[in-house]
Amino acid sequence: MIAPVLSLEGLNKSYGALQATRDVSLDVVAGEIHALIGPNGAGKTTLVRQIYGSEAPDSGTVRLHGATVNHLSVPQRVRNGIGRSFQISNVLMEFTVLENAMVAEAARRGEAFRFLRPAFTDRGLRDGAMAILARVGIEARGKTRVADLAHGERRLLEFALALAGDPALLLLDEPMAGAGPEETRHMIEIIERLRGEVAILLIEHDMDAVFRLADRVTVLVEGAVIASGTPDAISGDAAVRAAYLGGDDDVEA
Amino acid sequence: MELLRILGEGLARNRLLAVILAGFALFPIYTGIADLPFWNDLAMRIMILGMAAMGLNLVLGYGGMVSFGHAAFVGIGAYAVGISQFYGLDNGWIHVLISLFACGVLGLVIGFLSLRTTGIYFIMITLAFAQMLYFLFVSLEQFGGDDGMSIDRADFMPIDLWEPLRLYYLIWVALLLTSLFLMVIVRSRFGVVLEAIRSNESRVEAMGLVPLRFKITGYVISAMICGLAGTMFASWQEYVSPDIMHWTRSGELMIIIILGGIGTLAGPLLGAVAFLLLEEWLPELMLLVAPAYAENWMIIFGPVLIAVVLFARGGLGGLIRRIAGGG
Amino acid sequence: MTFILLLEQIFNGLQLGVTLFLIAAGLTLILGIMDFVFLAHGAQVMIGAYAAASLTALTGNFYLGILLAIPVTFASGYLLEYLLIRHLYRRNHMDQVLATFGLILFFNELIRIGFGPAALFSSLPPSLSGFVNILPETPYPVFRLLVIAVGLACALGIHLLVARTKIGAMVRAGANNETMTAALGVNIRMLRRLVFAAGACFAGIAGMMLGPLTAVEPGMGEPLLILSLVVIIIGGIGSVRGAFVAAILIGVVDTLGRVLLPVILRGFMGQAAADGAGPALASMMVYILMSLVLVVRPSGLFPPKG
Repeated sequence: MIAPVLSLEGLNKSYGALQATRDVSLDVVAGEIHALIGPNGAGKTTLVRQIYGSEAPDSGTVRLHGATVNHLSVPQRVRNGIGRSFQISNVLMEFTVLENAMVAEAARRGEAFRFLRPAFTDRGLRDGAMAILARVGIEARGKTRVADLAHGERRLLEFALALAGDPALLLLDEPMAGAGPEETRHMIEIIERLRGEVAILLIEHDMDAVFRLADRVTVLVEGAVIASGTPDAISGDAAVRAAYLGGDDDVEA
Repeated sequence: MELLRILGEGLARNRLLAVILAGFALFPIYTGIADLPFWNDLAMRIMILGMAAMGLNLVLGYGGMVSFGHAAFVGIGAYAVGISQFYGLDNGWIHVLISLFACGVLGLVIGFLSLRTTGIYFIMITLAFAQMLYFLFVSLEQFGGDDGMSIDRADFMPIDLWEPLRLYYLIWVALLLTSLFLMVIVRSRFGVVLEAIRSNESRVEAMGLVPLRFKITGYVISAMICGLAGTMFASWQEYVSPDIMHWTRSGELMIIIILGGIGTLAGPLLGAVAFLLLEEWLPELMLLVAPAYAENWMIIFGPVLIAVVLFARGGLGGLIRRIAGGG
Repeated sequence: MTFILLLEQIFNGLQLGVTLFLIAAGLTLILGIMDFVFLAHGAQVMIGAYAAASLTALTGNFYLGILLAIPVTFASGYLLEYLLIRHLYRRNHMDQVLATFGLILFFNELIRIGFGPAALFSSLPPSLSGFVNILPETPYPVFRLLVIAVGLACALGIHLLVARTKIGAMVRAGANNETMTAALGVNIRMLRRLVFAAGACFAGIAGMMLGPLTAVEPGMGEPLLILSLVVIIIGGIGSVRGAFVAAILIGVVDTLGRVLLPVILRGFMGQAAADGAGPALASMMVYILMSLVLVVRPSGLFPPKG
């Protein structure tokens, strides 16, 4: 059997008295869109940080393609196939859209540590960067400075940068947050197009989007997994209803 | 050939830098005709300080690392000449190599230890390392301690530095090479990533790059450039003392960068011109306006600095670009 | 090296330590909670020293001079914040370094114009210029003892102010969190101004106490500023308690180093060379200590929580 792209086993993480992650085990298999939902403060972002490598778990293992990556730094995990978009847009604000993608392209090619040729006039880098932007359909905005972009376009750029390294696993931390209905629809389309190409762990509050996109849903409450299964199973799960879906104003369905 | 193409294209994109470099090359013709040899001396000082500020600007302006101790590297570069001569090594080319090596190693060690910290801690730890070196040289009695040591104009065979203007053009060539080198690397992939790190370090990490590697490399390069400026300084002043490493000297380098325009190639050079001309002219201006206070020109200079910070974003370079109407 | 001499030097170290603490206490809050790089804090020391020296000369009474000088230093900090500093909070560190560097030049020159470039030497009243036995047969200057006592009293006062009062709670909560403190009903601008003025006041008191011990001259605050920055870094930026521990540590290490290092070095080199190199190496020790602390604990010994 092929190892899942991502597999978490018995992850625990505490901050003082607060246990943010409780014995979390979870698989993301190739090609699936796996949604991670839960009320605010359930520990979703903390979990993503442990997968990504910016936070070390107290115990438990993170495996990528079956190999333990606990000891790897963020850049090493990225090079091993993790792409991430952040909750708050995390892009190079003073650069243009195209320049953002060109830096990502140079990194992807392993050419970043070069000192002679000018970067931004390099045809090869430019072509690669345009391809990165084209995946989310913002290649026409290449010359715009990121600081002048609208919020939704910034999210798209962030998305493009997360995809730039051809990751095997994409961590999307609330990609629809703060987006309007039109932008949300566009984002859902893009994620839909990626199905099968890359395994996605999607954290999202927009239940509409979650239930349209997800192959599987895992529910996190107070740091622990309370249910995991197909969207149908989850929406019918009594425990989930009680703990989360039922009457919680976090659900923006 | 490709290098020439890159240099040509680079200069075409940095006309202000090209104009300033050409200006320094032609300046002695003017001073020769007008019989103002003193101004050559000032121009040499400007070029040396400008070179050091350009080195610092790589980490400060491009890399966003506020190092408050770069005068130490200038000092190490100058002491490399003095100490070499003390032990009977007179060849200037060797001095340059020793200085580059010493500053490179020191930059690597200090960079490695300091770059673990960020923000105010980074400012302060770089200051602390510079102070350490400052007091080290104060304590080294055999090299003159507090009083410093005199230096013979180095022997740059086959150039005879005692011939008129040879030292001037030696400094100019060093400045030219430094400028071209920086011009190339700030536009390279490395330079672009360095700027990306300044803009958003966590995004650069998310691209799979290790920011520390780029920051340390930048730090070492900038230390070596300051060291080169230091060796030139030693030959120009024919004397070196720990004062060259004093923390206020590091402050001056930062002032020069802000004055001229941070994060631009020509900025530090413009800043050095402005800084030393202010130092030259403010006392004379005071002599005209308030003769009793001619020595107290700092009373004007301090507020000028504050005004530059408050009102002149982008420094002189920004001003020139706005006037010239270019982007 | 006799025990008595060592004891005397430890007291001198304590005296330097409390002086450094007075300077560092305000500065650590300025750096920590306002995230503001303020290099002109040394000028506040100088202003305090000059204010005390000239007001003493004017009134003919040392105590009256000090008493009148304290509000002067408070006012200078208050005014400085109002006129300039508040426009710099939102600027980056580099701009702050530069603007406050400009301030140093300005203040030093202002003092030079007002009082001349030469150092002032202020004399102590007879009641303070004597010696007292700290141990049998161990005389120690009364004034230095007083400095230690005043320093410790101020330290206690600052501790109570920060730990026990409502203003202190606001300061600890982090005055840069505007929305939160505003929600608590605090005038954030006024809070910053008060921290600044109080910091200037304590730095000024340090200057007043140093006046009779050292030369009162333009630029006298800068070496102290750099040392206090070391204190702040070792203690952890923003931590008053850390500043106190680090100040005493640095005061004692620096003072003892100056005395002991030449003695140790004499074993390796001539006496003249050892006496020359000793103090400089002692100064280096302080920075070596700081780098060691930062290598082990990158945010200092007592990093403030949050």
